[in-house]
Amino acid sequence: MLKAGFIGFGRMGITHFSILNTHPSVEITGVCDQSGTMLNMVKKYVGVEVYSDYRKMIVEIPLDFVIISTPPDSHSEIIRFAIDNNIHTFTEKPFALTVADGQQTFAHLENKPLVNQVGYVNRFHDVFMEVKKLLNTGVIGKVKNFNSEMYGAIVLKDSKASWRGKRKMGGGCMYEFASHCIDLVVYLLGQPDKVVGSVMQSIYSSDVEDLVSSTFIYNNGIRGTVMVNWSDESYRKPTFIINIFGTKGKITAYKQSYKIFLKSNDQVNGFHKGWNTRYITDIARGVRFYVRGNEFTRQLDYFVDCIEQGRTDNIASFAEALKTDIIMEEIIKDTALSLATDDGAPQISPILPKSSRRSSIWKKIWEYLK
Amino acid sequence: MEKNLGVFKIMGNEPMLDRVIFGDNQFFGINHMSEEKAQALAEKFRDLKSITDVIDIAYDCGIRAFMLNTHEIAKDICDHWRQNSTRFADLRLYPSMPYAHKYASAVAEKGIFGALKDIIMADSSVGEIAGMLTKGGASLFSKDMIKVMQLLVDIEMKAFRDLNVRVIFLQNIVTDLLLGFGVKDVFVAFASYIKEKYGAEPGFVTVNLPHLVNFLLECGIENPIVCSTINKTGYAMNPDKELYEKTIVEKEFHPMAMSILASGAIKPKEAVEYVCRMPNIRSIVFGASSKQHIIETKQLIENYS
Repeated sequence: MLKAGFIGFGRMGITHFSILNTHPSVEITGVCDQSGTMLNMVKKYVGVEVYSDYRKMIVEIPLDFVIISTPPDSHSEIIRFAIDNNIHTFTEKPFALTVADGQQTFAHLENKPLVNQVGYVNRFHDVFMEVKKLLNTGVIGKVKNFNSEMYGAIVLKDSKASWRGKRKMGGGCMYEFASHCIDLVVYLLGQPDKVVGSVMQSIYSSDVEDLVSSTFIYNNGIRGTVMVNWSDESYRKPTFIINIFGTKGKITAYKQSYKIFLKSNDQVNGFHKGWNTRYITDIARGVRFYVRGNEFTRQLDYFVDCIEQGRTDNIASFAEALKTDIIMEEIIKDTALSLATDDGAPQISPILPKSSRRSSIWKKIWEYLK
Repeated sequence: MEKNLGVFKIMGNEPMLDRVIFGDNQFFGINHMSEEKAQALAEKFRDLKSITDVIDIAYDCGIRAFMLNTHEIAKDICDHWRQNSTRFADLRLYPSMPYAHKYASAVAEKGIFGALKDIIMADSSVGEIAGMLTKGGASLFSKDMIKVMQLLVDIEMKAFRDLNVRVIFLQNIVTDLLLGFGVKDVFVAFASYIKEKYGAEPGFVTVNLPHLVNFLLECGIENPIVCSTINKTGYAMNPDKELYEKTIVEKEFHPMAMSILASGAIKPKEAVEYVCRMPNIRSIVFGASSKQHIIETKQLIENYS
């Protein structure tokens, strides 16, 4: 049995607990959180040892791994402490709040054989896993362009109470929400070499952005855009839409289905020329125990498998997650850069030139008449 | 666990379950297969009248049982039934609670306890508890989770006052989350409370039917009513269709099938035939948004039953 400790017991910590508590080779031995109410409840109803200090928990009870679901600004120090104590770590996304911090934490692994995974859960989603496989077969030819979008009704007013509304703690649409959309692009198409035309826009929040958009440039010729808005009430649930355009066809994927358009028949994958639709009802494979989505169980079961099999070549490793951190930091820099050069003067020409010959003649006539 | 709750039993006291129950997912823009279909549904059912029109049609087709999530609009639908109590004299309701999406943004903003506190405080009838919450912070949550559960049930059930409620379901997001925690007291307390306070049968919605059935039986809840996605493709049947089929044949419980069409992935005839040929399935929940589909599906279920 692998012994597990939980650090951070909010919405995600609770979900992960429910999933791992039913895993046949996991025994949960400790829960750490800042909320005394939560700890009392866990102690009384679940009967697990509780701690308010993660260091104490890690030192006092023997643990094989920890699940870290704390606000992002605390990830790095907790991960490093866990690594120092030779404990495998699963951390909620994003990995770190700055690239420098993330790189140091990654370097802290020092080739230790510890499984390290970040909760980029789309990498375990039935549809996106299948799209990834299809892209690898080259079914749509050479990828030229994409647009990746994500919408949700998460923040509908200014929220100062939660860490999600605080920049310093890792709140805001970029780290909390857009990171999933950016990671999906990294997973399917790799890390871009440059970002341009980035926009971070507030809709309701006073301290953080509610919308992020950017254009990704790849040295291999791929271009694409990312558009994420977490203040869009027209969506009942968080929604992904990714279009990938290639020389032989295109794929449009949602969490419920994907559509593929091909210029000619593809016998390898069983698609015919024109449109082909595949629904989640046909694609989805069941999981051992379902809470909130197959992908949540699949990512944690995979993490446990990696520990049991002594594998460190994780599909959502720190190294992979760091790619998204780097992109997010570049988007922030790119946004700041475009704002810095914006002196308020319009850069777009009006429909008529400012001083045409005709207008100057009229001006002279006007002055004469005066 | 509170000692006086005892162990809930419905053994020997067979619950009266309707064979055909009309579901409500279509009214809330839910379609598992397609975002476009979901949006089209949300647009179609944009106002109360468009929903009650379909409910009226279903009733006129002879359907008497309705499953209703405690969505914001549930209260208005219930008002429609109350206002026309003579017309809907035979109505039998199967509410499912809580409608979790209703609380998603509150939880994101204020955390789990903050959101729960707001929900309870917003309810005017819980004055004495509100006092406890403000005085003792959130101590009520850690002292007595069962009491909190009962308060939340009462708040959700207000919409259904004076209506004939047959089974009260715990919705799958909450059922499955709590199932993972394995806290038996909460399940036992829910079952007892529904029976004692509302004179209704407790039910549980799940996407982990085999796991839940074993757990409820271990809790001492005999012959539990369990509603789950059951369909020929095996969609949303965890861990797999085979274990569902085995559990349904071997275990003593009342299975109710929902999402039998898997949001349209299976043809109605094939879908109904599969579910009706399975032994022990008591009830079938289906949703439809046109008169023709309602009549056809009801007819199919009756033909195969």
